[in-house]
Amino acid sequence: MPVQGRKVAVVGMSVVAPTCKNLDDFSNKLFAGESMIRLWDKAAAYGKQIRSTVAGYVYPEDTDLEPVYNAVSSEYPETYIDHKGRIPDINLATADLGSIWAMIGSKECIDMAGWTEAEVRSEGTAVVIGSGGGGNEISRVAWHGFFKEGKKTRYAGSHTVDRAMGYREAANVSCFIKNRGACEAIVSACATGLGNIGYAYRLIKFGLQDRAVTGGIEGTALETFIGFDAMQVLSKGFSPAESSRPFDLNRNGFVCSFGSGIVALEEYEMAKARGAKIYAVIDEYFNNSDGDGDMFAPSFAGQQRMWAGLSAGGAQIKPDVVKVHGTSTPVGDIIELLSIAEVLGETGYHLSAPKSQFGHMLGAAGSVEFIAALQMLDKQKVSPCINSDTLNTELEFFQLKPGWAGPMKPVAAYRHLIPQQAVEKEINQIVCLNYGFGGTNSAIAISKDV
Amino acid sequence: MKEYTQEERQQILDELLDVLRTVRTIDPARLEGVTEETDFLADMNAPSTELINIAVKVEQRFDVEFEDDDIDRLGSKVKDVIDLIILAKERSK
Repeated sequence: MPVQGRKVAVVGMSVVAPTCKNLDDFSNKLFAGESMIRLWDKAAAYGKQIRSTVAGYVYPEDTDLEPVYNAVSSEYPETYIDHKGRIPDINLATADLGSIWAMIGSKECIDMAGWTEAEVRSEGTAVVIGSGGGGNEISRVAWHGFFKEGKKTRYAGSHTVDRAMGYREAANVSCFIKNRGACEAIVSACATGLGNIGYAYRLIKFGLQDRAVTGGIEGTALETFIGFDAMQVLSKGFSPAESSRPFDLNRNGFVCSFGSGIVALEEYEMAKARGAKIYAVIDEYFNNSDGDGDMFAPSFAGQQRMWAGLSAGGAQIKPDVVKVHGTSTPVGDIIELLSIAEVLGETGYHLSAPKSQFGHMLGAAGSVEFIAALQMLDKQKVSPCINSDTLNTELEFFQLKPGWAGPMKPVAAYRHLIPQQAVEKEINQIVCLNYGFGGTNSAIAISKDV
Repeated sequence: MKEYTQEERQQILDELLDVLRTVRTIDPARLEGVTEETDFLADMNAPSTELINIAVKVEQRFDVEFEDDDIDRLGSKVKDVIDLIILAKERSK
């Protein structure tokens, strides 16, 4: 249970995002309304086998890493070379691309937080990091070599487990920073990034840990892209920069993206006492399930219960910005918008939809978008929802169905909530929302430190 | 089985060192002055999980195939690997 009066501060952040060199670059592009989506040559190379060809990809060299390919298979990155010398070879040997990003991000967060080595290595420090796990190239080559080429198991090398297991990012980070507290991963599909931050927040709020390195990852993998491409849920038919278009009438799917978002959390009084810069205070985190047995469809009722749960513990929820999940899929965006309007009314806040700029980072979405929200608090600007050019002036099909309990206005009636350029304004509180397959709904509220 | 001369064993050792130089978890400084008595774990400080990867690289380099039992029984000294390479080479003739 929460310890009364115990608060949690955000004291560090690190991001890996498509086309972005670093956090400042990411922040600048965010408020400039730039798209980070490109034609993905690696997907396009498969011609008619693949339906969508745009993505927010990050190659190893974009993060100063060089894959060392195995002699058995030229497609198998046996390990990586870190040209910046951030991660020792012994740690690189047990890591896939996403786990290396997690280690680099953790190091940057720890430096930003200003934690001492003794603090990091104490029992009070947790590592809580996960990824969506839709697939990765480590497993692909291992399975292919065994099943199709009849190779011995050892030909895939001795690191296919540690480089592909469910909580590989947390495990690698823990071995790298040598903390003695919790080392766990929350995996909840596209809510993974936020779920890990939420769980780490609770560990501190409940008095179990003093600090945590936490977040979500999605290492670039064509395997992940292929799975969603097969579901016909990826955006198709637009130029890369126009492909991710939450709320727009002509949206037809999300853009598959990759990246990493890691943050440093610390018990508020400890952070304050050592004079740390506090980027935000976490007001509350809440997670629930739709309970309707539907793996994929968003639930208005489930989201209404999520909002109720977010304030049930006494947290004051009056956001100036709601950072939406807003994937650019036909049904999800509008259910989410109407659900927010039902709770918050029609004025007094803006919606920020960062996926319009960098696509859907899956397991990293929640944490990278959380960092986008931290930037909004810091810069006092709302990031835009680019490409939301045309809003539907007619009611959605589900609003006309018997039993619909939400607002009876078309999306176009909410144009004033959806900025197409960055908006400067006073921002004291932001609510971040993410949802995932399985009907999971996650919400976190953060405020400026006062 | 054919007796290998000291020169022939040294040639295998040299090739083995070429393989070991591609293993990034082994410090290149520890590959100086390696003899048949050098121990992979104790002297080269190679992580034990790396030994199987070294075995696979050796199989490729020398175009031989080790039996699972050979690897299960394999010692951790350089001479153990050289002996195994010779055994596998002769067995394939």
